[in-house]
Amino acid sequence: MEGRCAVETWAQFGFSGRSYKVKILCGFGTDVLICTGTEEIYVFSKRERKITTVLLLPAAVNDLVGNQDKQLIYVACRSGVYRVNLQFLLHRDQSSQADASSSPAELKISQECLVVGADEVSSLLLVGSVLLTLCQRDASWLLTLYKTPKQTASTSHKEFGSFHLPVASAVDCGAAESNRGPRKGSVLICIHSGDVQASSSSNASAESTVAQDHFHLEPLLFKLLFGVEAALAKSPVILCGLPDGRLCFLPLRLPGSRLRVLHSLEQPVCFVGASVVTETGHAQCLVAAGEQGRVALIKTDKAGSEGGSAVAAFTEGCVPGPVWCGCMDKSCFYYSTGADLLRLDLSEGSFARESKERGEETSGTTAAALQSPSSLNVCRVIALAEPACSTAGDVQLLGVSARGQLQRICLPAGRVDEGSSKLPSTQVSRSVRDLLSAIGDVCERASVLKTVIKSKNQFLRLLNHAVSVSFLLMADTTTDLPIKEKPIRCHFETSWSRLLQKDSLSLVCFLHNSSPFVLERGWTLSITVSPLSYSSSPAGESSSTNFSFPFHDLRPGQTFEASLPIAAAGDASFPMTVSCSLIFSLSSLLGEEEVAASFAGLQSSCISLPLSTLTVDWLHALQLNSPTATHKMATVQPSSAAADSIQTFLSSRQLRCGGRTNRGGESAAKPEPEKYSASVWVSSEIVRDTLKPKKSSNLDAKESIRDPEDLCLSLLERLLSEDTEGVKMGCQGDKIALSTSVAHARGPNGAAMKLTVKEINVGEEESTDKEATIEVQIESSSLAAVCGLHHAVLRRIQTLLQSATEKAASTKNVQILGLRRALQRAEIQQSQISGAFGEVVSTVQRDRLLLSVYQELRRNPLLIV
Amino acid sequence: MYQPPSLPEKWSQENNELVNKCKQQEAAGGAVSRDHRQSSLRWCSSEFHKLLRKIQGIPPHVDHSQLELAVVYNTCVCFTAQSQFSEAELLLKEATERVLQVTGNNADTSDPLVLWRAGLKSAGNTALHPHVLYLLCLQWALWLAKCQLENIGELQEQMSSLCEIVCDGVGDGSLSEAKGRLSKSPLLVMEPKRLTELLQICTSIAQGAEKLNEGRSSEALSVLQAASALPATRALVAYTHLLSGSCLAHMNRPQMALQCYKRALETDSRCVCALYRSMLIYRQLGNTQAEIQALRLLHSTLMLPPATEPVLGGIQPLSPSLLLSSQSLSRLLSVPSALSVLYSLALKCVLSGRVTEGVEHYLDLLAALHSEDQHAVDAEVSVLPRMPELYLEAGTALLFTRRPADCMAFCNEVISTTLELVPEKVVLEEPEEGIGGDARGLSVEGEDKVAMLLWAAAAYLVQGHCHAHLKDWKQAVTHYTRCINLLVKVHLKNRDFQPQIPAADVNVKHGKDLCTLQRMKGLSLAWRGISFTQMDQLREALRDLQLSLQAFPDYTGAGLWCGEVLWRLGRKHEAAACWEKTWSLTTQTSVEKLPLYLQDPQSGPLLDSVELRFRIQELGLT
Repeated sequence: MEGRCAVETWAQFGFSGRSYKVKILCGFGTDVLICTGTEEIYVFSKRERKITTVLLLPAAVNDLVGNQDKQLIYVACRSGVYRVNLQFLLHRDQSSQADASSSPAELKISQECLVVGADEVSSLLLVGSVLLTLCQRDASWLLTLYKTPKQTASTSHKEFGSFHLPVASAVDCGAAESNRGPRKGSVLICIHSGDVQASSSSNASAESTVAQDHFHLEPLLFKLLFGVEAALAKSPVILCGLPDGRLCFLPLRLPGSRLRVLHSLEQPVCFVGASVVTETGHAQCLVAAGEQGRVALIKTDKAGSEGGSAVAAFTEGCVPGPVWCGCMDKSCFYYSTGADLLRLDLSEGSFARESKERGEETSGTTAAALQSPSSLNVCRVIALAEPACSTAGDVQLLGVSARGQLQRICLPAGRVDEGSSKLPSTQVSRSVRDLLSAIGDVCERASVLKTVIKSKNQFLRLLNHAVSVSFLLMADTTTDLPIKEKPIRCHFETSWSRLLQKDSLSLVCFLHNSSPFVLERGWTLSITVSPLSYSSSPAGESSSTNFSFPFHDLRPGQTFEASLPIAAAGDASFPMTVSCSLIFSLSSLLGEEEVAASFAGLQSSCISLPLSTLTVDWLHALQLNSPTATHKMATVQPSSAAADSIQTFLSSRQLRCGGRTNRGGESAAKPEPEKYSASVWVSSEIVRDTLKPKKSSNLDAKESIRDPEDLCLSLLERLLSEDTEGVKMGCQGDKIALSTSVAHARGPNGAAMKLTVKEINVGEEESTDKEATIEVQIESSSLAAVCGLHHAVLRRIQTLLQSATEKAASTKNVQILGLRRALQRAEIQQSQISGAFGEVVSTVQRDRLLLSVYQELRRNPLLIV
Repeated sequence: MYQPPSLPEKWSQENNELVNKCKQQEAAGGAVSRDHRQSSLRWCSSEFHKLLRKIQGIPPHVDHSQLELAVVYNTCVCFTAQSQFSEAELLLKEATERVLQVTGNNADTSDPLVLWRAGLKSAGNTALHPHVLYLLCLQWALWLAKCQLENIGELQEQMSSLCEIVCDGVGDGSLSEAKGRLSKSPLLVMEPKRLTELLQICTSIAQGAEKLNEGRSSEALSVLQAASALPATRALVAYTHLLSGSCLAHMNRPQMALQCYKRALETDSRCVCALYRSMLIYRQLGNTQAEIQALRLLHSTLMLPPATEPVLGGIQPLSPSLLLSSQSLSRLLSVPSALSVLYSLALKCVLSGRVTEGVEHYLDLLAALHSEDQHAVDAEVSVLPRMPELYLEAGTALLFTRRPADCMAFCNEVISTTLELVPEKVVLEEPEEGIGGDARGLSVEGEDKVAMLLWAAAAYLVQGHCHAHLKDWKQAVTHYTRCINLLVKVHLKNRDFQPQIPAADVNVKHGKDLCTLQRMKGLSLAWRGISFTQMDQLREALRDLQLSLQAFPDYTGAGLWCGEVLWRLGRKHEAAACWEKTWSLTTQTSVEKLPLYLQDPQSGPLLDSVELRFRIQELGLT
């Protein structure tokens, strides 16, 4: 493969999401160990190309190191450091592999392997026989040294020293930035002076240039950075990169040395390594990379500023970040941003070439190299390890992708941009293919973005409608338009129906949308029905009922119809208040979690807009008995009639008993139920005036209305069927033809009642000046029915009078006589009431007295003129 | 008929079980690690505390007060052993207040001293008295651990009566009568008698150290000598002897001090501090042989593996180290690290003429520094010289033992390390400007460029000496020249500076650098001159020697050789004058203060003063 990276997926393991704690550990012969920040460590065999073993640790793994002869690994878990004898495990594993072939063996690492009981060790390092752990304790970083035993059998790891470094709080921005993922731990590496390697090259263990965390630095740079004493003492230097951006070093074997800060990247350090290896095997450049792409290159500047002596040159630059992981080979620094794998060529040769081309100074070229990382077009790599150079010059990397794949990445031998002028045709076609696939990628992403934008637009449009509608309705309430002219209005009809031999009253709601807006998804009509007076409910609690009807698509001009049961016969408490409102809910539009996410500050995600509040009274709920219908009902539904009569009997008996003391034996002797009655007097003049405009279209009616009979009839008709405040009594089967001015009906509680409208003359008998008066009389054996109906009739007449023109107020003569009589009555009643409160001891007696006064009041009303 | 045990009985049982468990763990604790012991202690204290809270949940009453106080005692012992002093103190205070409530007294004070007095008084002769005393013991331990010796002094009489009662009275007297109710009385984690003994000697030691620190040596001495007779572990008794020795040393009685140190060592052979102190006294007395001997012993003792605590009568929860934590005491007991002792030993050997031995020690030291087992664990500031200086000293010592090849290897090491870092030009500022000059020449890692240069130059100088020793004069000249070339890179900044007065007594570091520079200039020039003399290049020799005398007039070798060259050139009168002048120089800078490698090499051609005087006489005759 030339000119392009080849990615070969070796294994897939159960792991998803981006984790910073992925680490690949190589160098165990053909085995590769991978930890992904979970409790598991995967052992991948390169020979068999599969995961052979899974090590199961007691807690999540933070770091992993192997010892020099690759027999032991140390694993830093959340609960401590464990030592695993890998050789032993894998051998045992191989023997057991014979029978269980395909699936990886799972080995549980027991608590016995715990060698250091320190919590939350973030990094580990082995230097010779010394195990170093780095962890954060309260306000300081703690680097602890443990002595590993010579015999592997022994488990005692003696702590023999520790170093503190106070935690710096300066770099908070980095912490805030990285809260997207789990915080990266620290980086711990060991730097040897090149001299050591040269002198002890016979030692097999020193041949660890491949080791990921041991580097051999050019002696001069080593001395410049870590001091002459460390070099003379031939001490390895521990270099640790901390999440606060500091790069600290500690000469391991120098007496009295301290942990000192070498440099600060000011962003979490995610990689430290050394590169630009010369023939002698010494790295000439120390590289530290921060999470957000700041890279520090530390090299020797031989032509130092003062007097020609060498100094260490720190070159800082920013590469396109974020840096997820990195690794180094002899001349290059590879790092992954998650979206791409990039290569920085740090070798002197490339600098020299570039500087020759640009005619720049040498120190500037290092920075220039940072400007131009070359892309390798491999995405989603989150861990890198083991760069290996084949004889052909290819570089192979091991990577773990964000999808949990172990990949081998083969890089082209030459630099990508080399000889770009004369590409062979195969390469051209390949690059065209690359470009096409890249275009496809972009297209896919673009379409996803498009749908997102679309849905956002849609949502915005809906919100705009909602705001307009609410504005409209709010304006209504302020301007107080008559109900007929409201853009969104509703009215009701009551109707009795008989279902399963049970009468029930239902209320039909008509919502007319005459606004220019469509009531769409998200809008709901909510109707609340509650009794006007709460006394009827036994526990005193409000017995309101809610109905809600979501709209789907109510276009302008359309009417929405909904029917709601309000009462079965006998158990309703009239009059009732019906209030309806429109509710707009964000959550039905967006879905709960989205609302919670984007409108966290909102108290509730609903907007409620009141439409209207109406009263359904007794008159609306009356069941009229037409003379024919009464018979029919009596014969056809005997059970119902029987129930009615029982009901009547029960309710009347109560009252009769009450009336016994008052009226003495006369009523007690009567077998038929006692009648209660109430009446309203209205001046016929007013009635005539108010009913006139209604019938003005009909010229004949004007004449007929002269007739008092007709007047009574039309008033009765008006009372029974008139649409008040948007509530209308629905037609009950055939339209009742009122022949007489007497209507028999049954109330919603089943009580029979009689409504009589007749013209009477009110005045003193001897007086000639008699006022023509229409009396509306309500009679029933049920007190509740009388009260309710009386209330309803009064309300109707009230509205009638309100709609009447002012001229009706021209009353010619106030009936002085009537007033006088009324005054007399009022005085008597007053005394009766005060007597009731003053003398009578028992509440029963008082109630009775008050009832009689009430009846008196009802029976002899004042004339409404 | 079975009767369920009453609540106090149950508590008492629980307490006794806990105490037994504690004691078992302690008995087994010798083998297990410190961590394990700590965790078991933590467990014990929390259990005791739980029990105590149960007991204190009911109002204090005479019937179960004894039990309550015993549990308070146990809890406090555990708390104190974990250094949770404030918790323990709070418990003690509450317990005292409850005792006062039981006895019907009320002390509305928060002053612990007053509280304790009242508590002791109210407990009077009741059965509670011994238990209150035990608690006082713990209070004492807390004060001691927190170094509040003045509080202990305030309650002196109570304490002494306490000692009497606990050690003699209650401990034995009540034993017989207590036999009967032994089964009933709650067990204690630590025997009060033993605690009191421990407290007594620890208090004496702490007081002694405090007084010694304040300069009241004789008072301290009396306290300590009284304490040495107290029953205690060997280590503690050794401390009393050791501190007595320190007192005597302060009082200028070195021989008696030595006696005390000796007694301390006899009592406890691991008392390294006594060895160290004796060594210091020998050094003070100028007894080099004894000093070397002491250093050697000290080093070998320090190299021994750290001993496990001697098990004497079981491990107790309260250790003496917990009670002896005062700073003045730890200062008195501090001992330098093994490496620095080894360095002192090596240097002392070389300076006192036991060069071969010294070289061995130097090599041991370097080997130790390079070994894998050496790790940067010394928290204290190291008294070792810088690494290159150590190399140079070792090299010089090797040269003294006539091993020039090895010496050259060492010097090569230093040169290869430092030479790359030596700048072209260094400015050495005058010493008077002192503090301001700190920023000068500091490289990235804070290492001194001047020091680097001086080390490289010194390495060349020593190499020159090596070649001179081998009589390879040409090579010697080359190396001396290299040294001189390095040295001339140093530019002195002060215009008013008079190089004639080498600032030998200036303590400032720059002054030391300057002194080193001048001396090195003098030495290298003089020895190049001498080398030239050997090669019969007398004119060059004369020039160098005269320059050397200019740079460093005090160097007698240069003066003598200058005369010699003049003599050979036939300028005999001048030569005579030169010699006379040199002999008249009386100021011989103390050799000891100079680094080893800057001293006059003991090898090479020598001039015999007697012979020279004879020549002058001859000249005078003629």
